[in-house]
Amino acid sequence: MFKLNLKIALRNLWKNRGITSINVGGLAVALAAFILVTLYANYETSFDKKNPNYDQIYIVGRILPDLKTNYTPPPFGKAIKDNLPEVENVGVTKVGGFEFAISSNGATIFTKNLLRLDYNAAKMFNINPTGGLNKPAGDERLFYLSKENMDGLFPNKKDNKPELVSLGSKSAGQTATVQGAVINDKHSNITFDALSIANVLGEGENYGYNNYNTYIQVKEGTDIANLEQKITAMYRAELVKGETDKSVLERVKEVSVFLDPLKNLHLRPKAGTDANYKILITLSVLGLLILVIACINFTNLSIAQATKRAKEVGVKKVMGAFRFQLTIQFLLEIFMQCVVATVLGLIIAEIILPQFNNLFLVDLAIWRMDNVLIWQLPLILLFITLIAGVYPAMVLSGFKPAVVLKGNFTTSKQSYWLRNSLLVVQFSIAVIFITGLLIISSQLKYMRSQDIGFSANQVVYIKNIAYFTNPKDFEPIRDRIMKIEGVKSATVASGIPDGSENGTNGYTVEGKEANIDFLDIDFDYFETLNIKLKEGRFFSKDFNTDTASSAILNESAIAKYGLKNPIGKIIRGCRTDYKIVGVIKDFKTQGFETAIQPTIYTMKNPCGNSKLEIMLKVDESRMSEVLATLKSQWSDINKKDGDNFRYQFLDELYGKLFQKQEQLQSVFFAAAILTILIAMLGLFAFAKYITNGRIKEIAVRKILGANDLQIFKLINSSFFVLVMIANLISWPLAYILTKKWLETFAYRIEMPILPFILSAVITISLTIITVSIQARNAVKANPVDALKYE
Amino acid sequence: MIELKNIEKYYANKGVKSYILRHVTTSIKQGEFVSIMGPSGAGKSTLLNILGMLEEPTYGEYHFMGEDVTAMKERQRIELYRNHIGFVFQAYHLIDEMTVAENIEAPLLYKKIPGSERKSRIADVLDRFNMVAKKDLFPNQLSGGQQQLVGIARALVAQPSIILADEPTGNLQSTQAEQIMDLFKKLNQEEGITILQVTHSEKNAQYGNRILTIEDGVIKEDISVEKQM
Repeated sequence: MFKLNLKIALRNLWKNRGITSINVGGLAVALAAFILVTLYANYETSFDKKNPNYDQIYIVGRILPDLKTNYTPPPFGKAIKDNLPEVENVGVTKVGGFEFAISSNGATIFTKNLLRLDYNAAKMFNINPTGGLNKPAGDERLFYLSKENMDGLFPNKKDNKPELVSLGSKSAGQTATVQGAVINDKHSNITFDALSIANVLGEGENYGYNNYNTYIQVKEGTDIANLEQKITAMYRAELVKGETDKSVLERVKEVSVFLDPLKNLHLRPKAGTDANYKILITLSVLGLLILVIACINFTNLSIAQATKRAKEVGVKKVMGAFRFQLTIQFLLEIFMQCVVATVLGLIIAEIILPQFNNLFLVDLAIWRMDNVLIWQLPLILLFITLIAGVYPAMVLSGFKPAVVLKGNFTTSKQSYWLRNSLLVVQFSIAVIFITGLLIISSQLKYMRSQDIGFSANQVVYIKNIAYFTNPKDFEPIRDRIMKIEGVKSATVASGIPDGSENGTNGYTVEGKEANIDFLDIDFDYFETLNIKLKEGRFFSKDFNTDTASSAILNESAIAKYGLKNPIGKIIRGCRTDYKIVGVIKDFKTQGFETAIQPTIYTMKNPCGNSKLEIMLKVDESRMSEVLATLKSQWSDINKKDGDNFRYQFLDELYGKLFQKQEQLQSVFFAAAILTILIAMLGLFAFAKYITNGRIKEIAVRKILGANDLQIFKLINSSFFVLVMIANLISWPLAYILTKKWLETFAYRIEMPILPFILSAVITISLTIITVSIQARNAVKANPVDALKYE
Repeated sequence: MIELKNIEKYYANKGVKSYILRHVTTSIKQGEFVSIMGPSGAGKSTLLNILGMLEEPTYGEYHFMGEDVTAMKERQRIELYRNHIGFVFQAYHLIDEMTVAENIEAPLLYKKIPGSERKSRIADVLDRFNMVAKKDLFPNQLSGGQQQLVGIARALVAQPSIILADEPTGNLQSTQAEQIMDLFKKLNQEEGITILQVTHSEKNAQYGNRILTIEDGVIKEDISVEKQM
């Protein structure tokens, strides 16, 4: 019986191969999208999952009155370890700041991400160098390179012996010993391209040095909330040790400690943005929606085909078939189509995967043995078979033989109603994506056209490892650079406006203290970036005090302190009194998602970071010459940096801040196209079915004198109503969703109306085209043919 | 074999009952060949559907082989389809996606008859109907008369005790119709299969041995053919 049913199924599918391929093709495309999303979701949610202590590791972070941070001071970890028995292990890490060159005899590589770890952290995160992890002796630091870097420096290395390399400029003669290579697992929160492992990090540094990350590994079953309280109490106690100042004692009560589990660190850290998490959720919902749409389509089409199978059902029933036998037969038929769709879907996914990887900056692959997709795929297959198959199978197997065998059988009004609502759902989803896409595009357009308060164009950012914290050190370099024709200005600072966060510290003006961002800069910083002055002046060589005790604040900082006439006032921070000499207009260093931070700009800051980032404003027409000259003379201009002139364009770096949104735009673009495509395919087949069913009606109307246009109108009107309903349903949904998304931006557009109207216009015109193509056949047909048989 | 007692069928629409069958009481014995006649809309097909358990009467008793059909469960009814009743339709209702042989095989599959026996029974039937050469053709490759032959072969292969035929020759030309009616008569006389047919044609009715005439849902006449002749 199975064999016979299989034969019938195949013959049937072949007979209706047009509709079958629409059905299977639509499902395959949707499945491909879903497979990709599943792959991505699997990847994103399993960072560090290979760590055997995955569920026991937490990062220790601090809650300050106005921010949460994962940066903690080095003695804190030791204190936790010593005082709290439920903490099994404490590891401390420090992220390296700058890029530096490492050379062997034959090659040079640049490490950008030197990670310092104490031995415990290395053990906690399973750092496993070739040849095994050794415990450093005393205050020895063991230096490792990532596998890629090691292979770059020593391509022919076979053994595990340490190698001697030179650091920075070769002429500086600084050397180090590389112990070996470590595989850098990109699928981890701990990333690096070079490692330095010590017994203790930050020895001698006190609770003021919040530059380290502290990870703890707790015993199983530890009450985390309770532990958080204990650590908070301990932290406060440590801070006030030996402190008598009342205000300090008061302020300590405002700080507390949180523990953030390792499994949340990648997607939704407590300190930081959960944008990735939101994107992942959006993507997953999206993938699921597309799949459901395709399934609805499938259901819709299968039922539309039902009349063709009605006779079979009737005959089989009078031959003595049980209903469940027929149900199973139809389910199997749909299962077969789903299997084909899954295989096709995998093929499509495999084809799209490179672009997908490119878009999301990941390295996913379908055919990998440890891929959870292997067991997820059969589940997905079962899921879609049930969603797409159960309803049609029930409808088909439920036909009454007495009714279907009479001859003039049509499906009932009720299933019309049902199919109509299914169609409405599809169009609603498509409308949401179209509207979403249009709104995302408007916001991106706004972000690109909006004045960001500074100009990153023609600004060359030079990577440098020589310290220019003292303006005097940079003076000769600047002089040399300015001699090159085409360079308009040159400056150095502790950070560049590429979205990176500045340091924060407490500053007091007129007795009011607040935590604000600080940035250490040099002369010509504002000029290079073309930042506008609001009042006062920029730093200038004409004022001797500028290099020591002058400060420039941005508008936000002035607003934060509520200063009326800021120029000339004293701002105190880091044991220094600064005189405010200027106020600049706010500029968006961190893109559009974060509000502009109140910031103080100074040239000397004892608590600050080292100034390394050189920026030049260059005349556009002379850009290539300037770069060529710099390249050839660099080792001479900046002797401490070394032999390698490395640069980037600031506008490109700043442009990376838009990457996530551009990603989202691409995703929505793909989704909008996909959902429209699938909805249209469904509509096409459905319209075909409807017009076939109305051929007799159309013939009668034509005989009664209707012209072609009137008939087109007649057929289109019901679909027009459906699409309008779909639009009305999805507008509020799209409004809520996009509003939520827009709210993630500190700087955003007003909710526009045009996208809503546009998506209605798009869906309606596509519908009319699709339906009219189908209606044409019915309209062109000779009424006599339609009315001939009894 | 069949006992109908006071069968009624009506549809209630806004409180008005429109009757299709009224007070139908009759019995049909094993081995009879009964023709149901009457004008269009008289209720012939409904009566046949009730006899074939495709429709339920609104009221009345129906015993099939001594069992009360109205009290039967779905499964028991399906068992009757499998073992005792064969249907023949005016529009043949062959399954278009199956070949002649497969169409004939289908009822045997539901009876769970083993493969070897299925094969021999199909071969037997095809042989009897002179259709061995056509066994791999699809229904749309056959003439109407040939399709109806397959339809009858399909009804017969499960070895039913009764065949219910709803205007079996309604779509056929007269020579083909005669062939089909001859076949029915032969089956009735030689194999003792009870046959119940609905027909418009006086001539076809003469093949049987009893004619039930229905008008406006009521049995008007019940005569045996021999007497009439």
